[in-house]
Amino acid sequence: MILHNYDLYEDCFRVRLLASCTEQSLELVNVNAFPGAEEKSAPYLKLNPLGRLPILEDGELCLRNLSAILIYVAEQDAQKRFIPKDSAERARMMDWLGFACQDLSVATEARAVALLDAPGDVAVLRAKARQLFRILDDHLTRQSLRGEIYVAGKSPSLADIALFPAFALCRDFNLDHDEFPAARLWARQIRTLPGFITMPGIPDYH
Amino acid sequence: MTQTGSAPSQWVPVALSNMIEAGTSAGTVVNDAEIVVWRDTAGKAHAWEDRCPHRGMKMSFGFVRGDHIACLYHGWEYDTSGTCQYVPAHPELEVPKSICISRYGTTETGGMIWAYTPLGTLEQDSPPDLPALEGVRSVYIDAPVAQVSGALEQHGSTPAGNNETNSNFTTVKLESTVVTVGLQQISEGRCALHIAVPQDTTIATREALLDWCEDLRRSVEQLEAAA
Ligand code: FES
Repeated sequence: MILHNYDLYEDCFRVRLLASCTEQSLELVNVNAFPGAEEKSAPYLKLNPLGRLPILEDGELCLRNLSAILIYVAEQDAQKRFIPKDSAERARMMDWLGFACQDLSVATEARAVALLDAPGDVAVLRAKARQLFRILDDHLTRQSLRGEIYVAGKSPSLADIALFPAFALCRDFNLDHDEFPAARLWARQIRTLPGFITMPGIPDYH
Repeated sequence: MTQTGSAPSQWVPVALSNMIEAGTSAGTVVNDAEIVVWRDTAGKAHAWEDRCPHRGMKMSFGFVRGDHIACLYHGWEYDTSGTCQYVPAHPELEVPKSICISRYGTTETGGMIWAYTPLGTLEQDSPPDLPALEGVRSVYIDAPVAQVSGALEQHGSTPAGNNETNSNFTTVKLESTVVTVGLQQISEGRCALHIAVPQDTTIATREALLDWCEDLRRSVEQLEAAA
């Protein structure tokens, strides 16, 4: 699998994190996204007319949608360890995967405005992201009451992997973790997953 | 902005005990003063000014190593007395004892960690005397603490310790369960409630309590937004 990657993009990190936690290797093609905007160059627009990263290639396959990429990589894992077998649990996982990849794109955007000169109003985006992390924190509070520490059940799933970067990186656009104690505890669990890796902005405590 | 100097000296709940695991840290704010709450690996809780004396990085971004907390920026490490013990860039250096972080008086009772504020005041009164309780959740609300106290009174809350003006907690009865609510003023327009219940409280009651918390936050914030 080839990942067209930019190290500072959290969406690219989500894919790298998943690959690492599932013991799969990715061939990284580093794209000069900032300041070069290489993902909007002619050859890249051929791969993804939307002019965005990440892009995942595997043989004939070329994927540009974040959830599609994550699901594909999770399924390539022989153990499929992050895809729940139970259908209800799998549906809950997909529900939160949608939250991570669609709803929380405001957090990705806020960070891009704060760090990478993207256009947008960071205060508005930050307020939206804060509402979403509240929802996540409320949910994780309920989960732990039921003895389930992950978003979709007792075991970590693809949704947790997809959610973690957004939460871990929100300080980049000045949203602190203060108000989200349940999410803080959950993030600490994600850090202990075998294969866990970091990226700039997510400190390695060792 | 609230003048922290004018705030009365008092014990303020800053986190639920079970939300600060051994070996972790978190940031919070009391009357606009930034505080790092952390627990050493031996289990003792600490509340300090959330600022590294080196370059001002927040200590709550850092990490705990045994009974030291280390700054994320350049790794300066502080012992439980707040004194800098180690500077990674100069491992041979005997660190001057003057490099230290100011600490708040800190205690734990009723399932919550309490800090004596404002910074630098001597503890004039003993911490609230609460039974052993278990934290359910902390809820952060965009409204003045007085507004939230008012809403709690409508739920029939009884301010604890009648004579104590600054007790910073209250109790509310939910069905037959006595719920203890620690009140933390973050700033003029924001506060946190730390919710704790007796250990034998059922899961069903706790779930009902979570609904109650979310409803309270929604209704108070809606009122606040309309005001
Ligand atoms: S700012 Fe804390 S060590 Fe430099």
